[in-house]
Amino acid sequence: MNLFHRIARWLEVRIGVGELVERELTGYLLPRNINPWYSLGSILMTAFAIQVASGILLLIYYVPDADKAFASVTAIMNNVPFGWLIRLLHAVGSNMMVLALLLHMLSVLWMGSYKRPRELNWLTGFVLFNLVTAACLTGYLLPWSQLSFWATTVATNSVGAIPVIGQQLVEFLRGGKLVGAPTLGRFFAMHVAVIPLTIAALVGGHLFLLKRVGVSAPPFGKEDSRNRWQGESYRYESHPGGISFFPNYLLQDLTSICLYLACLMAVLFFDPYIFFPREAFNPANPYLTPAHIKPEWYFLPNYQTLKIFPSELLGLAVQGGAMTLLALLPFLDRGDERHPLKRPLFRVCFWGGILLWLGLMVWGHYS
Amino acid sequence: MNCKAIIAVLGAVLCTILLLLAPARVQAAAGTKVVCVSCHSTLPGKYGEPVALWQGSIHAESGIACNSCHGGDPADAANAMSPARGFLGVPKERDVPAFCGRCHVGVEKDYRASAHGRALGSGGPNCVTCHGNHAVVKASLQLINEKSCSRCHGFERARLIREAMEETEKRMAAMEGKIATFRGRGVDTERLEKGLFALRNSYRSLFHNVDVGMVRAESERIRGELERLDKILRKVDEAERVRKLAGVAVVASLLLAALLFSLLRKSYD
Repeated sequence: MNLFHRIARWLEVRIGVGELVERELTGYLLPRNINPWYSLGSILMTAFAIQVASGILLLIYYVPDADKAFASVTAIMNNVPFGWLIRLLHAVGSNMMVLALLLHMLSVLWMGSYKRPRELNWLTGFVLFNLVTAACLTGYLLPWSQLSFWATTVATNSVGAIPVIGQQLVEFLRGGKLVGAPTLGRFFAMHVAVIPLTIAALVGGHLFLLKRVGVSAPPFGKEDSRNRWQGESYRYESHPGGISFFPNYLLQDLTSICLYLACLMAVLFFDPYIFFPREAFNPANPYLTPAHIKPEWYFLPNYQTLKIFPSELLGLAVQGGAMTLLALLPFLDRGDERHPLKRPLFRVCFWGGILLWLGLMVWGHYS
Repeated sequence: MNCKAIIAVLGAVLCTILLLLAPARVQAAAGTKVVCVSCHSTLPGKYGEPVALWQGSIHAESGIACNSCHGGDPADAANAMSPARGFLGVPKERDVPAFCGRCHVGVEKDYRASAHGRALGSGGPNCVTCHGNHAVVKASLQLINEKSCSRCHGFERARLIREAMEETEKRMAAMEGKIATFRGRGVDTERLEKGLFALRNSYRSLFHNVDVGMVRAESERIRGELERLDKILRKVDEAERVRKLAGVAVVASLLLAALLFSLLRKSYD
């Protein structure tokens, strides 16, 4: 018996590895008509792992001090061996992660997988999306560049439009009346500890719900694509005769992850500057407001919405309303049908929403 | 007079005072920066001309007002030209370099060391001869031109100096643009920018030098230094080219791996 078998045997008699592999990998069956969109979850797990690993490496050299932060990031980019790779991986990776997250949410919406009994899956996913954007926002300030400083000033300013507590909230976020060293301290703590730990915990919760409720079968290619669960009792959605997670779908996951990484690396090596305007490489100067400071692409629709309405409060209220509607969608959309082609109103809302979001983004970019 | 009448009279007096004071305060606030201009622009001839000339100058563009050079109090029309408020008036011809040199310290030193500066007081030019007094334009090589120079001497030597400097000027502008491009890509250009700043200072000191040989030699040295800076940037460019090649390999490997995993999955199906 070679060493590998001896170790396997040693583990088998202690924790029952064989049974575990059978239950969680080879015997874990997925719907036969499962499609590559389902692998976006694995892509996001990989993306999150990359962010954590590159973030830890950046922490070795980054100095969270308003006087030294910009210089430390410049040193990472120029003097630390492969520092440019780690920093770009972290910065470009965050943008790609948001993109993958949006696609994941859209695919869940399109296939009606948010419907009961998966309300909690949707809610945890929705909160995760907000936490990822919060991680992006807090991370944006850390390089302490002109872009960081002024984008954070604009972003925190908009909170001031909330009636009664607006100004107190702005000061709480900034740690003072203006963006400054206390803001950097707060955002740093949120970015490296509070938000990632919460994301990790929620990812655990999201996966737990996925395991308890079971994977939802795509509504495509079925005669009857209605949701059969009526809330009578707990039910695990099993897929007898389905395909094994290992090796079948794991290979699909690996294919998708490699394609995702290829896209990430292509942007990173050939044009990472699409995510870095010039102001990103100038140190923060509180006395010099750049002419055209714009938020990241995924915040452009929010930015433009605030500009469209005559008052910021109205803009914030509209955004809050839209986000609440999206969060509560599984509780509002209670129909049985899941197939998008049998749901014309849903299709109009889905494509209309995407076009509106893209339109606001383009408008925000050129405004 | 009863109480109501007293209140009415006091109210009327108070309103009148406020009405009288309000425009005065507005005028004072608005006139803080323009008291010299507002008076002189209404004056004829040599007293009024400087206003229009100054308004089109680099000084006006940079916020250098009348009092910055001539002293005085720009906020108080009555005492604007009082020596007690630091008014200096118009300097004598010999005093012009010191007058301008209060701000342009290095330039004054260069000028005094030049043939132009040494001839000051014996028919040689001072600052305003070439730069103008109120219509001061941004210092550039265009100031060395046949029309201007041949007022006092032939243009031949000045032409040689200008030609030697023109090429350097072009290279320096190109280097400035290149450094800005690299900075926009996250390259640490601080050392390069400091180097270029020092070179620009050396170059500017040549503006007042009329020794053709020295200008040529110094221009040559500056170009050599610019070449050294360019070499550093070329190294960065080369490193980025290598990174892109590595990128091709990484992306190709990932695509190949994706293809293999996909084929393997199909074989299991």
